[in-house]
Amino acid sequence: MSVRTMPLRRSSALAGAVTLALVVTGCGSSSDGGSDKAGDARTRTFAADNGKIKIPANPKRVVATGYAVPVMIEAEAPLVGISSWKRGEPMMSKKDLATYKKLSKVAGEQAAETNYEAIAEAEPDLIVIGVPAPVLGDIDMQRLKSIAPVVAIGPTVPSAWREQSRKQADAAGALKKFDATQKAYEDKAAGLAKKYKNVLPDLKLGHIGAYGEVAKGTFQREFGGSWGTNIAEDVGATYYGKVKKPGPGSRAVSEYPSLEELPDGLAEADAITYSVNADGSVPESVKYVMDSKLWKNLSAVKAKKTFPIRYTEAATYGQAMQTLDAIDESFAPLLKS
Amino acid sequence: MTAAGRTTGAATTQRGVPQAGLLIGGFVLLAAIAVVSVGVGARSISPVDVVRALLDHQGTDDHVIVRDVRAPRALLAVAVGAALAVAGALIQTLARNPLAEPGVLGVTAGAGFAITLGSGLGFAAGQAGQLGCAVLGSVLAALLVATVGRRSPLRLVLTGVALTAVLTGVALGMRLMLPDVFDVYRFWSVGSLAAREQAPLVWPLTAIVVCLVGALALSRALNALTMGESVAHTLGAEVNRVRAITLVLITVLSGAATAVAGPILFVGLIVPHLVRRIAAGSVPWLVLHSMVLGPILLLVADIGSRVLLPTGEVPVAVVTAFLGGPMLIWAVRRFGEGSL
Amino acid sequence: MTALVPLVRGRIRVQRRTIILVAVLVALMLGLGLLGLCYGASWSSPGEVFAALSGADPSVVIQDWRLPRVLAALVFGAALGVAGAIFQNLTRNPMGSPDVIGLDAGAYSGALVALTVLSGTSAQLAVGSVAGGLVVAATIYLLSFDKGFSGLRLVVIGIAVNAMVTAVNSWIVLRAELEVAIAAVGWSAGSLNGVGWDDLGIPFTVIGVLLVVLATQAHAMHQASLGDAVASSTGVRLDRLRLLMVLVGVGCTATVTAVTGPIVFVALAAPQIGRRLAGAAGVPLLPAALTGAVLLQGADLIAQMLLAPVALPVGVVSTAIGGCYLIWLLTKEVRRA
Repeated sequence: MSVRTMPLRRSSALAGAVTLALVVTGCGSSSDGGSDKAGDARTRTFAADNGKIKIPANPKRVVATGYAVPVMIEAEAPLVGISSWKRGEPMMSKKDLATYKKLSKVAGEQAAETNYEAIAEAEPDLIVIGVPAPVLGDIDMQRLKSIAPVVAIGPTVPSAWREQSRKQADAAGALKKFDATQKAYEDKAAGLAKKYKNVLPDLKLGHIGAYGEVAKGTFQREFGGSWGTNIAEDVGATYYGKVKKPGPGSRAVSEYPSLEELPDGLAEADAITYSVNADGSVPESVKYVMDSKLWKNLSAVKAKKTFPIRYTEAATYGQAMQTLDAIDESFAPLLKS
Repeated sequence: MTAAGRTTGAATTQRGVPQAGLLIGGFVLLAAIAVVSVGVGARSISPVDVVRALLDHQGTDDHVIVRDVRAPRALLAVAVGAALAVAGALIQTLARNPLAEPGVLGVTAGAGFAITLGSGLGFAAGQAGQLGCAVLGSVLAALLVATVGRRSPLRLVLTGVALTAVLTGVALGMRLMLPDVFDVYRFWSVGSLAAREQAPLVWPLTAIVVCLVGALALSRALNALTMGESVAHTLGAEVNRVRAITLVLITVLSGAATAVAGPILFVGLIVPHLVRRIAAGSVPWLVLHSMVLGPILLLVADIGSRVLLPTGEVPVAVVTAFLGGPMLIWAVRRFGEGSL
Repeated sequence: MTALVPLVRGRIRVQRRTIILVAVLVALMLGLGLLGLCYGASWSSPGEVFAALSGADPSVVIQDWRLPRVLAALVFGAALGVAGAIFQNLTRNPMGSPDVIGLDAGAYSGALVALTVLSGTSAQLAVGSVAGGLVVAATIYLLSFDKGFSGLRLVVIGIAVNAMVTAVNSWIVLRAELEVAIAAVGWSAGSLNGVGWDDLGIPFTVIGVLLVVLATQAHAMHQASLGDAVASSTGVRLDRLRLLMVLVGVGCTATVTAVTGPIVFVALAAPQIGRRLAGAAGVPLLPAALTGAVLLQGADLIAQMLLAPVALPVGVVSTAIGGCYLIWLLTKEVRRA
């Protein structure tokens, strides 16, 4: 049996409570938690982070969490419930934001805040979890699987959002709209690359980021393939240098050196890009770098070749289009000189 | 037999090595470490350049690093270390509880809560705004704890712990709901002496210096207080007033230190523990020795935080705990937990 | 002779007060338990709840999702309360609660190792956190034994160990990859979300055995709380008793942490609140256990309701409620004095 919807009826009959806690019924063995009894019974096998999963070929009711939320909204997947995803809000288009606000929320920002009852009430036929693999330990997969097939597709390295979002959209059977957006992005990037082809490829760039654990007295130096750089690279920007001691995931493309290493770290840069918030304000950790005298001593800064980039956290093609606009707006002075 | 041996041991420390000698030795050590602290960092700068940077400033990268990054940092370490250690010595004496530390008054949680709330409402932008929020929050929290717990040391500790828990919990809840707020808080919440050279530090540092002098002036009266209220009364100390002033001093010292450096409160717990043996029951000496050992500990920890990693920095609070934890365990095992 | 009479009378008064308190707390516990079974994504009436529990009208949500969560809150709350009371009795200091002396931090270290070094499955998290808690407890216990036992020394060493372990934890989080770090922070705020029957069999058995062991030692513990001299003269073997108490306290804390992650402050606040409500001189076990159960269950309900359908971590709420209540009790004491 599937989960019953219970009538909204209040009762204050707490009198019988005394007997209650003493009665411990055994596990309900009757539940089969089945789900795929929907009309379209065709299924296919899908390779996800959590193994090969049998999912409906044409899902009708999808629940998405984490990084999958903006992807699914953009791809116009048949969503019935999503997790809250505040960090994506500033990058959503008006229409997407309205959809996001309207959809019922079945989980919080953290994976541990997943509301299983709310997911069950949404009666999904597919659940797409967009959280990193280590976070899956916070989720009761057994229970989710009892509601509907679960595919987990989470982020790995910053620039891999392209493949991940495609996979997420694919699982939800929403590739048509997705491919259109991807095409629009690629065309736009190609156009910009053409526009800047005389100036950008010759510049050696460096990037100051604001992502992750930027501790006091340090700054985030991002290299090619990182959050702040991967979309600019599609326009033809080249970021020089590499991480001193590469680690797993994002640590392969960015590092957090001490401020004292700023002069050496960016000495060769012809120009510097830096991450700013969606509203254009400079984040705390970047502001610290820019207020320092060492920053003012850098040759790129003296030459006034510094460029703020908004929407560096883009993780869907739709969001990345906005990043392209922001990059275009910021790099525009390069063409004048 | 052992008891007798210990008593004589204590007596030799008291007479054999005079307190003043130890104190001067401490000052010399402090000065030496401060010099090292200015010379060491991620970028290697020759000692000659270090001296030149301080005396004949040219504005090159090396000079900027020494004068605008390292020197303020060393100064901050000295002030914050002294403030926290003395605040710890005062609160342990006042609460008659060797477990008490400045955080017990709720200053850390108060500051953290105020910064969370402030950035949620949008006026904790910039270092000055944050500093204001932190000071206000820690003073208010300390005021509340001190009011509820003023009569009984045990109640003071309990109230402080409870308020800390509440403020931390509510602030955490707010941050979970508003992730943007989380960013500002996270940057502040890792206690560190770095990245503060751009903040307006004159006011907090002045407050710290004034309060340190005040603590020394008050320490004699506190000495009388440790002998019990009736004795203190007959000795002419006005118990309630001394207590109130001490609470004010603790609040300002730890509030200012927390506001500028974030939470590094372990210093306030261990330094008084370590010097209590040397001070041999005298509060003035306890305060003086704390004033020297606190900065030493924090400077060493800060140097460690710069050199431990090939790139980047370890937050100084982490290094302090690594340094201080074993020292505290050793002191407790060697000398006993120390009654006050 | 006559001087004894008011003393005896006072003791009877305390006992009567304790009995009333226990009755009230049990009623509150059962009431909150029933409320927990009724409350969810949609409300079920108590009639439906009883029908589900008796098997007349089975419901997966009530039997397999809500019931384990409610029982977990009650049992774990009680276990934490007992653990706190044990340590506070042992150290004769309210600061001697498991979370202050580093058991929670140790359990978190174990979980961090499971997350960063291993793959971070639920089983690894559970084993890791229990092992971490036990290692820290053993370290503190061994370090604080030196020519006899001192409660205060145990607390001071516990605080030192806690500081070091916490430092190790922040070091691991700092060195970890960003997405792992986010997962780790999520785990550090304890939560009862998603607790099911599979998670509870072993923990309930362990806690049950520990509480039975404790009950057999209750009399000896009472003697010991009157002072070492009294205890020795009545034939209580203090060293053995202490070791046993520490084992029970550590066992309770580590078991709860393994399932839910660290839920701080219940162990500190529940014994202190219970003691004040009972008007007792020491830190009595039964009021502590019941207060813990009521506190955690109440907090878990509020955590689910506050931002519904998104659930907050229960630790946030239990801290806020328990702390406020404790402060209020303390303020009342001031006014009375």
